[in-house]
Amino acid sequence: MTIAPAARRGLALLIPVAAFLVLGSRVPHFLDLSNLLNVVRQSSIIGICAVGMTFVIIIQGIDLSLGGLLAFCPMISGMLMLAGVNLPASMAAGMLAGTAMGLFNGLMVSKLTVPAFITTLVVGQISQGLALIINGGSSIGAFPEGFVFIGNGALGGVPLSDLLLLVFLALGFFIQRFTPLGNHILALGGNETVLRQEGLSAARLQFFVFGFSGFCAAVSGLLLSAQLDTVHPTQGDAYQLDAIAACIIGGVDLAGGRGSVPMAVLGALIIGCLRNVLNLLGIHPFMQNVFIGSAIIVIVYLSGAIRRHSELATRGAL
Amino acid sequence: MSARATEDLQAGPAPGERREPPAQAPAAAGKGRARLAPGDLLNLIGRNVALFIFLTLVILASLFVNNFAALDNAVVILKQSAIPAIAVIGMTMVLMTGGIDLSLGYVVGLASIVSGIMANTWLWPAPAVLAAILALGLALGLCNGLITQFMRVPAFIATLGTGYVLYGLAQIVSQGSIINRLPKDFLAIGRTPMFGLPSAVFLALGVAVAFHLLISRTIYGRQLKAFGFGARTAALSGVPGARINVSVYAFCATLAALSGLLFTIRVNAAQPNMGGGVFTFEVVTAAIVGGTSLFGGVGSVANSILGVLSIKIIENCINLLGVSYHLYLAVQGAIILVAIIFGNLTNRRA
Repeated sequence: MTIAPAARRGLALLIPVAAFLVLGSRVPHFLDLSNLLNVVRQSSIIGICAVGMTFVIIIQGIDLSLGGLLAFCPMISGMLMLAGVNLPASMAAGMLAGTAMGLFNGLMVSKLTVPAFITTLVVGQISQGLALIINGGSSIGAFPEGFVFIGNGALGGVPLSDLLLLVFLALGFFIQRFTPLGNHILALGGNETVLRQEGLSAARLQFFVFGFSGFCAAVSGLLLSAQLDTVHPTQGDAYQLDAIAACIIGGVDLAGGRGSVPMAVLGALIIGCLRNVLNLLGIHPFMQNVFIGSAIIVIVYLSGAIRRHSELATRGAL
Repeated sequence: MSARATEDLQAGPAPGERREPPAQAPAAAGKGRARLAPGDLLNLIGRNVALFIFLTLVILASLFVNNFAALDNAVVILKQSAIPAIAVIGMTMVLMTGGIDLSLGYVVGLASIVSGIMANTWLWPAPAVLAAILALGLALGLCNGLITQFMRVPAFIATLGTGYVLYGLAQIVSQGSIINRLPKDFLAIGRTPMFGLPSAVFLALGVAVAFHLLISRTIYGRQLKAFGFGARTAALSGVPGARINVSVYAFCATLAALSGLLFTIRVNAAQPNMGGGVFTFEVVTAAIVGGTSLFGGVGSVANSILGVLSIKIIENCINLLGVSYHLYLAVQGAIILVAIIFGNLTNRRA
């Protein structure tokens, strides 16, 4: 028996909602509005990364450069800010750096057919090295008020971080649903031959997807530094796997061709809730890593098993 | 170069050209006096990239870096290369199947803290610790292998996940502390002086020779290469693909655990942060500099170890020149990129 896609999506949504309600009744203070807004604020970092990562995974890639970029881009902006360059220009420089690194990933994948996990691993490592070199391995802080406000300020009671996540969610959703680009990306991941027959360039799409992912990583890194009022040269490490986990929990298929931005952002929120609850319950962050690492493997296994099962079922029906 | 030498090269393993018809060799030999065309030179280098890079680095470093060409310094480089040299063998085997093991560095960290606890807290004798750590590595590697093979999770995501788990476990086991002052008999495994070098270097040499023979002289080695070139064709020829695929992860983690143990001995401290992503990356870099193909099928223990020596020479020069150590991280990345682009170009020529 195969489950209809709509029903499957409904089921997928049911689990987090149920878990949410159970947690809400069990864990003290979890459902407090201030705690929930805080959860979203903490999830915004991996959520924004997950928007870019979704497109990358859809085209059968992966972006392992996030960890490095999350430190490298804000480090550039931070150094410029402390050197007295105005806020918009310094932030633009960081975003430009992230996008450039992403485009470089796209170049390696499209023109040199290097596997995505290798080129992004390498670019991540280079970014990490540069983030360390720029300021001799120490962190910087005490940024202008405007920058810190982006991370910690609120608009009508809603943290700016939450709004920024919403903007990226909308942007990703718009690209995916309402532009031809979104369809082409799905086609590239699902069936490249069709794309070729339509006369579309795979390379240009790969450039866009990896460049966009680099841009998302840069924005997310800047937001993280704005929240902390610090740039630590290895601050990205902790977020790399969480961003991938967010996509995977949100049902983005590692085999490519399938995935939606809102679901990936939901995945980020689930991870945010999970970490928050485990924190409230006093469970050590390292134990949380053990959970999340195992969860990724189990979910990838299950989604693969389900896909193979339904493929077999389809073939049997024919 | 004589025509004969050209022929010998043609007969040797030439990964980049394996799909070419062999008609070129007699044509080149027929010329009588073979001239060295630029393309030939590129091919010659392309076939011995690891050796070429290694020799170039040695020459450049000797010429331009003060204190590089000294016996003491050579000893330092050998000492520093021994541990990654052991780890790179396993990574080479995994890469040869077309996979990757991103958990390698975290196996090192877990092996380090566990060996420290066994030797210092439980007072186990050195041979028991060694055996237990190898068994731990084997078990972890089997997990990686079984997850990739039978749960069909792509290698990079499976090992990223297990790496995360192992890192968490190592931190939990250590309870945030480092174990210093390890017992003498335990330290003796890697520190006993032999011919002016610590025993760890000879241990690495022994492991390297054993695995070189395993890959180049046994049926297992040939099956491994066949599997890496194409799992389907290999399976049709009767290669037990599943067994090969699981075994490489088992070897990789076992060797990683051994290098974690030796690392612990070298610095005389067991700590969960040892190794990590940085070490994994160093080992992958070494393997790629050693000419191991990311697409599977091509790799050699000797070349990968030349790769380790090459990047350790670079690290050594960065130290001798007094440049920030952080540069080493970025330089490694740049080296991989150059190696990939270069390998790509030479393959395209062929």
